[in-house]
Amino acid sequence: MRRRNLVLLLFISLLGLAACGGGNANKEESVTLILAAYTTPREAYREIIPLFQAQWREQTGQTVRFEESYQGSGTQSRAIVEGFEADVTALSLEADIIRIEEAGLITHDWRSKPYNGMVSTSVVAFAVRAGNPKGIYDWADLARPGIEVLTPNPRTSGGAMWNILALYGAAQRGFVAGVPANDDAAAQAFMQAVLKNVTVMDKAARESIINFEQGVGDVAITYENEVLVALQGGQNYELIIPRSSILIENPLAVVDRYVDKHGTRDVAEAFVAFLFTREAQEIFARHGLRSPDPDVLAATTAQYPPLEDLFTIAHFGGWAAATPAYFGEQGIYTLTISRVLGGG
Amino acid sequence: MSTLAPKPTLVTRPVSWRRVWSRRLLIGLVVIYIAILILAPLVSLVWGAFRTGVGPVITALNQPDVLAAFGRTLWISGIVLIIHALGGTVVAWVLVRHRFWGQKILNGLIDMPFAVSPVVVGYMLLLLFGRNGLLSPVLTALDIRVAFAWPGMVLATLFVTLPFMIRELGPVLEAFGVQQEQAAATLGASGWQTFWYVTLPAIRWGFFYGLTLTLARALGEFGAVLVIGGGIQGGRTETATLYIYRALDERDTVGAYSAALLLGLISLILVIGSDLWRRREKAE
Repeated sequence: MRRRNLVLLLFISLLGLAACGGGNANKEESVTLILAAYTTPREAYREIIPLFQAQWREQTGQTVRFEESYQGSGTQSRAIVEGFEADVTALSLEADIIRIEEAGLITHDWRSKPYNGMVSTSVVAFAVRAGNPKGIYDWADLARPGIEVLTPNPRTSGGAMWNILALYGAAQRGFVAGVPANDDAAAQAFMQAVLKNVTVMDKAARESIINFEQGVGDVAITYENEVLVALQGGQNYELIIPRSSILIENPLAVVDRYVDKHGTRDVAEAFVAFLFTREAQEIFARHGLRSPDPDVLAATTAQYPPLEDLFTIAHFGGWAAATPAYFGEQGIYTLTISRVLGGG
Repeated sequence: MSTLAPKPTLVTRPVSWRRVWSRRLLIGLVVIYIAILILAPLVSLVWGAFRTGVGPVITALNQPDVLAAFGRTLWISGIVLIIHALGGTVVAWVLVRHRFWGQKILNGLIDMPFAVSPVVVGYMLLLLFGRNGLLSPVLTALDIRVAFAWPGMVLATLFVTLPFMIRELGPVLEAFGVQQEQAAATLGASGWQTFWYVTLPAIRWGFFYGLTLTLARALGEFGAVLVIGGGIQGGRTETATLYIYRALDERDTVGAYSAALLLGLISLILVIGSDLWRRREKAE
């Protein structure tokens, strides 16, 4: 009896082990491409990937298997640096690609691709409850006492970094009621007032909006495309675009070190090229993203109205300057959030 | 025992009404407390999964991704279970039966997984096994991949489940004492024979209980395997919990609830099973 129990246990354990053996796919007939992306464009990729697979099969007879991972842009970028061997990475912002470049994993000039390597764009916008009961129409409303704000954590989420820069830039440019233009002290006070209203800081933009959908908060600062995808999916809330916002530009790159290791350079580069085609760009546009392709953008202006004041990362001197100035150890955001958390 | 026989009672003076009511109130509060904490989420899970009927649940679970994720969870847990069954028993044995320098520190270290957040465990392993990690040169030379692959996930799960076996077996071994072992040794049994025929049978319920706890914890691990594994879907590192997380992100609520329900059921069976073992242990 006692023995039998042990034997049984051992047997079950071995069964578990046996289940782990998996066959390797035939390398000539199929190839595996690992895509590491930030969280919001997943629905677009779900539609684009089968089209690329069909095209590649037609051209080469090879089947492309995709392995996908969707995490916060910062998380994803650091994972790749730490050894997550992604062939292609689609991130929220340039700074996260630069980190991989500086680690020596991306060695080609990814900016030589169309639109400086930016595969999609969007703007920072708000999601508010149906009927907008709190009357949130612009940046200034986020700082009102008692408004609960959701925005992800800039340490892990690219979207969160865009959010912070959008609200600060709008304040600097005189588009926040009560904050004079070019008054950095006032802009900082405004940032602090908004951060004080933040109730939850999620790891990634998608997690943040899902939390909003579960009933947390009055307003979520997020990508315009994140809200549009949610509304397409039947969610019942509203998109508010502020008068002034930042143009979010999402870069994409082949990770040289890993494609060379895997022998997947051809298919990886073909996939990247495919994402810039009109066909793929139209799919991105259907999933809430503003296309960098002027023709596609012109055809979709009804869905993507121009803003009164749309600025780019150039307002902050580019990501190479903005990252340390706002998110570095002595960065404006870093100091402000520590004041909010420390001083209440 | 006759049912007519008067019950022996500790309280000889008449019990006041007030006392009866305060007792009932207390029991009622405890029942409500547990119901809110455990039952309410469970009911909402079942409701969430079956809201649109049984069909969608079966469809949601019968997908290659989901089956692969559950398979991965099961075999990672299986490896962890075997290692802890052997290692945990040895560690518990050594800690209880021997005295040596540094024992207290070692004993304290074993509880560390209880205190450290699993996410931190994932990062610690990345610092060790990542591309810039301490062991990176060795791993590259041997062409072994640990981070963002199953060995890293096994290590993470091993770490978070380390204390269960040891802390379960320790007191059982202590209570069993050494007399019978010494008697066996006097009769000429080897150390191995003593362990196999004397000690192990005596501690077997504790052994099974420890394994069950280890398994239950391994099945549910999330943070550590997310960080070290990267949650690569359609690939090699998506476990059942990571699938649930992904399904929520994709607004596939039926998928998320169904997978969560299945995982919850497995855990429930384990907990009930271990409770039965507990009772048998007490009965002996």
